[in-house]
Amino acid sequence: MRKGMFYGLLFTAPAILGFAIFTLGPMIASLVLSLTNYNVFQDQTSFVGLDNFVRLFSGKDELFYKSLGITFYFVVLRVPAVILISFGIALLLNLNVKGRAIFRTIIYLPSIVPAVASAMIWMWLLNPDLGLINSLLSRLHLPTSDWLYGESSVIPSVVLTTLWGIGSTVIIFLAGLSGIPRQYYEAIEVDGGGWFRKLSHVTVPMVTPTIFFNTIMTIIGSFQVFNEAYILTQGGPNNRSLFYVFYLWRTGFRDAEMGYASALAWILFIIILFFTFIVFRTSKSWVYYEGGDRA
Amino acid sequence: MLLPRKSVFITLALILMLAAVLSACSKSGTASPETSAPSGNAGSKENITLRMTVWGSPEEVAPYKKAIQNFEAKHSNVKVELQHIAADYDTKLTTMVAGNDVPDIAMMESGTIAFPMAEQGKFYNLQEFLDTDADISPDTLVPNITYSLEPGNVIGIGPGPESFGLFYNEDIFKEAGIEPPPSNVADAWTWDEFVEVAKKLTVDTNGKTAADPDFDPKKIKQYGANLSTWWGVYSNFIYSNGGDFISADGKTFALNQPEAVEALQKIADLMNVHHVSPSPVQSKNIPATNVALQTKKVAMTVDGQWASAGLAQSKFNFNVGVMPVMKEPVTTVVCGMFSIFKSTKHPQETWELLKALLDPEASIDMLTAGTWMPSPKDWYTDPVLLAKWTENLDARPSGYKEAIVDVILTKGHQTPTGYVKNFNNIMDLVNPALDKVWLGQQTAQAAMDSIAVKAQAQIKGRRDIKE
Repeated sequence: MRKGMFYGLLFTAPAILGFAIFTLGPMIASLVLSLTNYNVFQDQTSFVGLDNFVRLFSGKDELFYKSLGITFYFVVLRVPAVILISFGIALLLNLNVKGRAIFRTIIYLPSIVPAVASAMIWMWLLNPDLGLINSLLSRLHLPTSDWLYGESSVIPSVVLTTLWGIGSTVIIFLAGLSGIPRQYYEAIEVDGGGWFRKLSHVTVPMVTPTIFFNTIMTIIGSFQVFNEAYILTQGGPNNRSLFYVFYLWRTGFRDAEMGYASALAWILFIIILFFTFIVFRTSKSWVYYEGGDRA
Repeated sequence: MLLPRKSVFITLALILMLAAVLSACSKSGTASPETSAPSGNAGSKENITLRMTVWGSPEEVAPYKKAIQNFEAKHSNVKVELQHIAADYDTKLTTMVAGNDVPDIAMMESGTIAFPMAEQGKFYNLQEFLDTDADISPDTLVPNITYSLEPGNVIGIGPGPESFGLFYNEDIFKEAGIEPPPSNVADAWTWDEFVEVAKKLTVDTNGKTAADPDFDPKKIKQYGANLSTWWGVYSNFIYSNGGDFISADGKTFALNQPEAVEALQKIADLMNVHHVSPSPVQSKNIPATNVALQTKKVAMTVDGQWASAGLAQSKFNFNVGVMPVMKEPVTTVVCGMFSIFKSTKHPQETWELLKALLDPEASIDMLTAGTWMPSPKDWYTDPVLLAKWTENLDARPSGYKEAIVDVILTKGHQTPTGYVKNFNNIMDLVNPALDKVWLGQQTAQAAMDSIAVKAQAQIKGRRDIKE
């Protein structure tokens, strides 16, 4: 088997080396850098211990707390929306209707569109004066909004634009749904239960592992929101969409404060780790595996 | 794991070679330049390569290529390797600096990373060249196009200045029977005159103008004026009103002072009181200057002279006048710059290259297209040279010479990015506060006062005075 070991390592080497060189290495480097005052343009870099973290948490850097709050707000708004809507769409797509393949394609299509292109489309749709959405609303005599240009409406608007790209979440839900054995539904039919019973007693319990997976992925993705701020709002108006990663990027790549930006990055890493851990811990009580295994 | 001994050695050897190659790439970035720069035009005769980085559209890069050709023809032993970085220039250059792999000469932007890099001594002081060079000195260049870290330490020279003017659609004025904006600075409109004209030229969908009592500001079809909320535009009026971003001694935040506040408030009033200029929300519907004027969405717009290029291609009767004056006629002069890295091994040849890049003959296409203006002063004062880029061209309408050329020579003001230290961090506070002013939710005074304490903490002085 030693020969097998050698070949196994040989063939996995690209992936392992790739991870080691391009992910693990930079991560360790940034952890070290987060303890320094590394500024790209300065020749002198010195070890400052936990100074960067002290500066962050002491409230000296107001934008740190502000961007953190804004990002939390975004996550709280987006995660339930993504899970509920994509699950609903998956249920619909799972019905035996004509042209199911076409609908599936339509739902998935936005995920293929480059982020920049879809952001531009949303910019036009949400334009307060000329945009399609406001035009329709005012035609129907409904209140309109400033969308991305209003301080209170900017975050919900960004959430709205990201909901467009939930195709991949829907696909994963569909995979989960298609794995549910028909017999369970038949059993309910025999017992005289309707669609609601099917949903609450079979469908939802059977896809809890998928819900669990999608929730974690959506939480991670939402904390890392960047493109929308970069393209749509540049953090405005009045810093109300200064997402954490956008602020991190600005600190690192505009102000060249790479040491400080590394500290910011590690804090985000820990936050995401914490929330993932929480979801994992609670999963024992609500995720059901058919084999009886527990997560 | 069964590995023949030999292959272990080979692997080790490969790793060592790779390490050697990698470390060879990262030369020490602090090497002092050779002080004994060979004099004379030809430079030393060994074959050398100079690296250069630029940003810009393909049209903008073409003149650089031409300048490089001219330069290489003169200096047979020098090759120039041009690196065109189309996107994320600052990020890429930052990465180069981090890897100690910098070009000899680079185009730099005063508002972003040029000064942070200069503060760390990354750039060659061009003052010594300007002092000794026979062809070029501060007096032979248009004012306000050199950038200095402090007096006597020049970090970059602009290849083409840009100033601001009041571009307008002539037909709109003819149809309304209104005198268009004057092009001579002596006759410039006062701010109030400008507002009056803008009112008459702001029309709603019922054909009522903003001067009418039953004008509907919610249904504007044509705006009389368009002033963007970019600092490049509003700085003109802050200076014109005697205000500044920072006090003359460099000690105090000045945007909350009466002169600056008044200018900012007057611009905000255009949007929210007089309804003659699109608010930030409405301006998202306003296309680029050339289209906005051509389609009569806007009658007049304050914009940089680079707008001439697009206007020339739009084929309609546009012209340019001087901007309205609050107290004194002033135009902000903005431009990129070419900087020489201190780590260059060939400062003299790189300086010669920089001079070649400033040569208007090489960039004549950009000058006649309207995108650029030349850097050497004699191209403004010598009638023959001036004619080359301002006469019989679509991009240079009748008002151009007076409204743009004369004004930049006599009324120019350096861009705030050039002399306000820590400009970015100050503006990080100012811009969000101004968002509220443009939207009409707060007065300029209240907004600037609300951030004054924080902004004051970011004030680090001025670059144009000796500390």
